[in-house]
Amino acid sequence: MLEYSEPIAKLIDEFKKLPGIGQKNAQRLVFFILRKSKEDVESLAKSLLEVKEKIKICSVCNNLTDIDPCFYCTSPDRDRSVICIVEEPYNLVAIEKTRSYKGLYHILHGALSPIRRIKPDDLKLSNLFPRLKPENNQMITVKEIIIATNPTTEGEATAHYIANLIKPLGIRVTRIATGMPVGSDLEFVDEVTMDKALANRHEI
Amino acid sequence: MHLVSIEVSNFRNLKGVFCFEQGLNIIFGENGQGKTNCIEAIYFLATTRSFRTTNLSEMIAFGENFLSVSGKVVVSKEIQKEIEVRLEGKRKSFLVNGKKVKVNEYLENLDAVIFNANELEIVRGSPEARRNFLDSGITAIYPAYLRTLLDYNRCLKQKNALLEEAQKHDTAFDKVATMIEPWNEQIVSLASRIHKLRVRYVERLSKALQNQFFNNEFIKIRYVSSLEGKGDLSNYSSTLRERLSLRLGAEIAAGHSLVGVHRDDLEITVNDRDLKKFGSSGQQRSALLLLLIAKIEVYRQQNGYYPLFLIDDIDSELDYERISKLLELLEGKTQTFVTTSKTSFLDKFASKGKIITLKRGEVFSQSLTK
Repeated sequence: MLEYSEPIAKLIDEFKKLPGIGQKNAQRLVFFILRKSKEDVESLAKSLLEVKEKIKICSVCNNLTDIDPCFYCTSPDRDRSVICIVEEPYNLVAIEKTRSYKGLYHILHGALSPIRRIKPDDLKLSNLFPRLKPENNQMITVKEIIIATNPTTEGEATAHYIANLIKPLGIRVTRIATGMPVGSDLEFVDEVTMDKALANRHEI
Repeated sequence: MHLVSIEVSNFRNLKGVFCFEQGLNIIFGENGQGKTNCIEAIYFLATTRSFRTTNLSEMIAFGENFLSVSGKVVVSKEIQKEIEVRLEGKRKSFLVNGKKVKVNEYLENLDAVIFNANELEIVRGSPEARRNFLDSGITAIYPAYLRTLLDYNRCLKQKNALLEEAQKHDTAFDKVATMIEPWNEQIVSLASRIHKLRVRYVERLSKALQNQFFNNEFIKIRYVSSLEGKGDLSNYSSTLRERLSLRLGAEIAAGHSLVGVHRDDLEITVNDRDLKKFGSSGQQRSALLLLLIAKIEVYRQQNGYYPLFLIDDIDSELDYERISKLLELLEGKTQTFVTTSKTSFLDKFASKGKIITLKRGEVFSQSLTK
């Protein structure tokens, strides 16, 4: 029944455990690796181990980092009066790409979902509150929290939940807007996005 | 807009090509020859769903692993399209003129409504059947509504998971309240939208009800919110918010959600009496027909054309008097497909349309077009 010799079959199985990789893609990856030089494969294997050994979670903002606290939390150029809350580390990367946000981040590593048994305690939220005190924030008062969780029901619930906790502290809480993607043509926008964009229209 | 023909492969017991008339198509045959399969294939082509099953792979012919239904659709004199839907296991794919397209784009080409014994649930069954009737009608004229509905159901499911857990573990009330709050907040805004659209849709349906049609039976419909008598419905969201917080204790005790648009209903009366309780079986069928006709009328007002009208087993559901009135009403409007196994039906209505006789899943004979 085994079509491939055992080492190949084993590696195919390992690749198949990765998200978005099925049998065919896994085979392609294995044969790609077999064609590579030994050095290339060693470097790949080393990188895999290195990422696991060196990357930890920032004790301040929960970002993935090789130094603790992370680059954003220690940078003197960041505006320490604003904190943007996101679900996952790659959401931070998406916001950073704008180059226009200069504040700090807080990463939850998930969103509320009772059906998947993800409760408030399962989010990395508790270390947000000490950050809001000036003495823990280089004597700077946090003026605004931007909630940039995903526009899904889970993301919205998480946003509401956090807003309810922070508002009593007298800090401004904002939610990122939803609507039209910039540079696109109206005819290519799906009706749900269009609907939201119309509902959230503003005067010019 | 009409369907010229369909071609099927591996669709239940059907084989080959079926050609249709712009007006009435009578699909005739003995039991088990594929009449219902034929209109199911049309329905599947038009909506990508089945009116018989939610497990679509049941439609794949025994021993095969995929099916396809393709159809020629005349959009206007100049424009003809070939559309195709394929099913492989559970995966559907859609083609328009040989090119793969996304489902929303595919669905713009054709639509269908079905009248069969199951649909009688709308007039005699649970409120859920009536809510589904409204929701499918709204989605057909306003596609973005589907997202609202899905999000609402998702929030409800999430909230129910919390309520069930709270009931089981006797969690402190305040703690449950803070956990529920973010979901209730979304439920309020989604439910307000659903309520508003359903009320508006019922008003449109109401105006389109052709009540003069079946004598002595005056049908009225009204959307009945589960919040009726519980506060000011013109300010729905604040009434719902109040109600949700008031009933939270009861919801925890029940272990599931008790307040929201998923408890609403459509009231249908015949001569001012509740149709479900007091209507005769004939009145219920007339009412259902009037509702479906109103539905396609509202559809046309919005989209500019009628959906296909499918009636399975027409003479077991309706008497000849109602049938002839119905066909008269649909004439010149919809492309209509009916199935029958009775020759007496043919005797009476053969002159009104095309007869397609099926034997063992194939076209055995067909009458010449008028």
